[in-house]
Amino acid sequence: MPVRVVDTATPSSQPSSGQDTNAVQPTPPSCSLLTAGRCFAGTQNVSSLQKDEAWKVNVRIHGCDLEQGYLCGTMEALNVPLADTPVVTFWEGEIVDAKNYTFFTGKWEASPEDDVRHWSKFPSFTPLLSQVEIDGGKSVDLSNYPYIFMRWKEQYFVNVGVDCGLTIAGFYYVCFSCSDGSISGFYYDPNSSPFQKLELKCTNEKQSGFTFSSYELQ
Amino acid sequence: MNPFVWRRGKAEKLLSLPVLEECFCACRQLPASMASSKKVVTRDEWERKLRDVKIRKEDMNRLVMNFLVTEGFVDAADKFRIESGTQPDIDLATITDRMEVKKAVQSGNVQEAIEKINDLNPTILDTNPQLYFHLQQQKLIELIRVGKINEALEFAQEELAPRGEENQAFLEEIEKTVALLVFEDVKNCPYGELLDVSQRLKTASEVNAAILTSQSHEKDPKLPSLLKMLIWTQNQLHEKAAYPRISNFSTAALEDPAI
Amino acid sequence: MPAATASGGGARAEEAAASSSSAPSCVGMRPEELAARLAAAGGPGAAAGDGGGAGGEEGEQERVLALREIKNQIIGNRTKKLLYLRLGAVPAVVAALAEPGASPAALVQAAAAAGSFACGVDDGARAVLDAGAAGHLTRLLAHPDEKVVDACARALRMIYQSKQAPKFDVNNEKNMDFLLSLLDSKNENVTELAANIISHSCDSNTEQLALCGAGVPQKLVGLFGGSMNLRDACLDSMTAIIRDNCDVASRFASMDHGKYFRSIVGLIHDRSPRTRLLSCLCLIALGHASPCHFPDRQIKTKLILVLLELIEEPGNVGDEAPLALTTLIKDSVELQKQAFSTNAVVKLSNHLLANSLETRRAVTILFALAELCSKQEESRSQLMSGQVSTLILDALKHDCADIRVAACSCLKNISRSSKVLSAGRISCDTVIAPLVQLLYDSSTSVQIAALGAICNIAVNLTPRKSVLLHSGVVSQLVNLSKSMDPTLRLKSVWALRNIMFLLNPKDKDFILKELTVSTLSSLICDSEHFVQEQTLALVQNLLDGHVDSVNYVIAEDGMVLNAISRQLNSASAPGVCVQGMLVLANMAAGDELNKEAVMDVIVPHQADRIKSSFVVNFLQSKDKQLRVATLWCILNLIYPKCDTSSTRVTRLQNVGVISQVKGMMNDPCLDCKNTRQRLAKEKLGKGALHRDVCREP
Repeated sequence: MPVRVVDTATPSSQPSSGQDTNAVQPTPPSCSLLTAGRCFAGTQNVSSLQKDEAWKVNVRIHGCDLEQGYLCGTMEALNVPLADTPVVTFWEGEIVDAKNYTFFTGKWEASPEDDVRHWSKFPSFTPLLSQVEIDGGKSVDLSNYPYIFMRWKEQYFVNVGVDCGLTIAGFYYVCFSCSDGSISGFYYDPNSSPFQKLELKCTNEKQSGFTFSSYELQ
Repeated sequence: MNPFVWRRGKAEKLLSLPVLEECFCACRQLPASMASSKKVVTRDEWERKLRDVKIRKEDMNRLVMNFLVTEGFVDAADKFRIESGTQPDIDLATITDRMEVKKAVQSGNVQEAIEKINDLNPTILDTNPQLYFHLQQQKLIELIRVGKINEALEFAQEELAPRGEENQAFLEEIEKTVALLVFEDVKNCPYGELLDVSQRLKTASEVNAAILTSQSHEKDPKLPSLLKMLIWTQNQLHEKAAYPRISNFSTAALEDPAI
Repeated sequence: MPAATASGGGARAEEAAASSSSAPSCVGMRPEELAARLAAAGGPGAAAGDGGGAGGEEGEQERVLALREIKNQIIGNRTKKLLYLRLGAVPAVVAALAEPGASPAALVQAAAAAGSFACGVDDGARAVLDAGAAGHLTRLLAHPDEKVVDACARALRMIYQSKQAPKFDVNNEKNMDFLLSLLDSKNENVTELAANIISHSCDSNTEQLALCGAGVPQKLVGLFGGSMNLRDACLDSMTAIIRDNCDVASRFASMDHGKYFRSIVGLIHDRSPRTRLLSCLCLIALGHASPCHFPDRQIKTKLILVLLELIEEPGNVGDEAPLALTTLIKDSVELQKQAFSTNAVVKLSNHLLANSLETRRAVTILFALAELCSKQEESRSQLMSGQVSTLILDALKHDCADIRVAACSCLKNISRSSKVLSAGRISCDTVIAPLVQLLYDSSTSVQIAALGAICNIAVNLTPRKSVLLHSGVVSQLVNLSKSMDPTLRLKSVWALRNIMFLLNPKDKDFILKELTVSTLSSLICDSEHFVQEQTLALVQNLLDGHVDSVNYVIAEDGMVLNAISRQLNSASAPGVCVQGMLVLANMAAGDELNKEAVMDVIVPHQADRIKSSFVVNFLQSKDKQLRVATLWCILNLIYPKCDTSSTRVTRLQNVGVISQVKGMMNDPCLDCKNTRQRLAKEKLGKGALHRDVCREP
């Protein structure tokens, strides 16, 4: 369920009855599976030349503001060898919507070449490649595209100290599929092994069906 | 936002005194420097720059006329008009009425002043509660001054107390004024300054401003503001440079720069 | 009985009055006596007098003196006005106006007295009007003596500025002609009066249109060349004519190739601060009423700069400038961005820090700061990181209710951002306690404002949320949810909903224990549909992630579930239905019992006939959120595939739900399409999907 950010003009006036999400601006389609409260589960492949390794990962989206192209949530990594407990981090995401953010990162030590290289690893990106190479995709109309592209950056550790032996210096290039709610991502950190892959699916969290929750800002 | 910059916009509409202009330019050009390395401007240099600044005589005259007319010096304004050909921006006839009110207050005839204001424009006191209060306060002060204590007490009760009921902001002033009634030697009591002529002048000035505003005129003459600006600018420049200051504003003499 | 006056028979009444210290006249007379004297002096009795000119003149003089004395006693003096009102002086004063043979002197004094009675005293205004003053004063505007005209115009202005002002119907042709004639007068008191009347006669669109059609705007602009006070009054009238009227605004903007519009723009740089403010207000009204005629961004930027400057002005102008700024940038992302780039936040903050909070200006500045943060992330960061943020927290405890409301507004808008909330920039600890205090405030508007701020802060997206619950906020929110005031109910339930979001089960139970199931059901059936909506969203949040919580929904004979069912079956607002379906969807994600319970709501057992389900209507709704929510509910009902789910499919088929779903493959909403496809996959298996895919174009 899309989150509605509703404005009230004065403290005593009523809220508007639901935002018109069919608005003209080129925001990604509101998708019931990419909303606050939603959980995803899967793995992150952390293989290096020495060994094959994969961590079980759970992701929960906490906040979603399509207007600002902003997302945030937590990421929980299980069976991390160096830690006794699952490691939880808090991340913030940028949605590539050609309005707030483009395909070019412009920070976090990622050059446009790095950007193109990573986005190209998603098959769903191929039709957009030529446009993006020109201007970062500023003129691409993503409003009806069945995939949502994002960058996720972990901001801090929630339950362990910074000396836990893990790094959150890099960020993920993320692709979300609107049709089935699956997520794939690639971790980018110049100081880590490249292309560590994140693969998540929307989960029901032990329920027999999908559940919904939402918040609304005044 | 630098307050000086804002006011300069206003001043530009009229004129700048040569010194003001010069100070401002000098201020702008100099970097913020440390105390030891102040730039020095010699007297000759300064006077030369002053001569270069062109101020029109008409503008100076308008400044003077504006002052005379706002303060209400009708005769002087009329003579000045004849001599310089400068047109007053207020009809001199209306000034007479205003001046009579001002004079009445300055001489302590408050009731007369009130009646004259009401003849001039009955809405002024109705829409200026603070002014009305100050006039009533002045009336009480005048009664105390001449020793009419009983009348004063009655007046305080009938006229001043209701003002305090109508508006709490006046209570403090009322208390101060009424306190005068308690002392034998009023002139030397804690609030004795209320009996000064300066109090009358303050009230008179307030009355003058209110009448001007009701007549759609600006209540403040421009000249004093320009002088204030001059003082401020000189102080600002002083931090960055040593230059010939004007300390005596009546002679406007330039003093040699202290090094 | 009036005593003989000592003033000479031939002396003009004014002169006698002027030399008040020598003439015994009426100065210093007790009000009761004075009122009596006036009443006696007026009327046919006095005029008859000795039958000679001298007697009539003396009587007239007396009247003038009495009127003048009363006038001088009441001007500025509320207490005296009320006293003379009680003494019945007003009818006598107005009678002097009505007197056919009245001297100009008497008319001037009577008019001034009447105007003064109407100034600032409601009873006075009413008494003056009841005595028929308006009619007389209006008639006397045509008097040959200019002083009389001045006095009557001023008096009428006073009357029209009071709340008791009579309605001046500009739709009436005669009235309009009269108004136009006033506007054409050479006397500035009269034209100013006309402007005042206009300002008070623009209540409806028809009136505004009538004035526009009669050429009033052009005349008003023509008067801009007059004195400052007149110009200001005309600007005010212009704003009144334009306000909220798209028709008038667009007509005005294009009049004479925009010449009139430009003359107002020119005034925003006028010498007089008040003129600058009034012209800004006029342009702001124009921009709001007819945005397409005002695309010029340059002008709007100039307005922002002018208003920011005006905040420095002393008095009323500086107090109202921030309010004008708030109106200008309200709800506009672009303008708020513009304002931010001109450093508005910093300038306003500095002013606030430099001056006391006691003033009206502090209130308007706080509201302006709040509006700057309304849609601008950068403004929020700037406001939070500055010294002024501490000031805002202090302002929550201020004596003045308006300051408290304004401070809450700021906090609400600062926290109106998922980004801000998640970054944990708002320290819950420092902010929550004073806000919770305000929930007990004596002023309802403060309570409402505090609820707004709490609503947003309550979302608190960082993983740590329990600070909120330790503050005691829940019990007061539950209290307020039972208030008689619908706004209080709405906002408190809203806050609870946001708190409930992603809360751990233990805390959810705690909240439900306070709220109780019966309160919950009555809120679901609240008279206000916004309250219903928020309550259902609250239940939705309750159920998500807390499997056992469904017990609350079915407890007490299914009180809550029945309430939901009732709402879904009646023609409720779409928002309510959306939330209701999501609650059912959450329930349907539970075990078999829950799924069956949901089925009973959607497809109630009917012994003989097949009742149509509201679900079918929802699937046909124009509201895509409703379609999506309904699809999810159905999906959860038939998932996972098993015998019981097949039974449910059949039941749904019998009421036409499945065929409705099938028919939605070309739904315009992408989300709907995706969800529907998922559904089809679940229900029909691979084969069916293949069939569906073939059918799709």
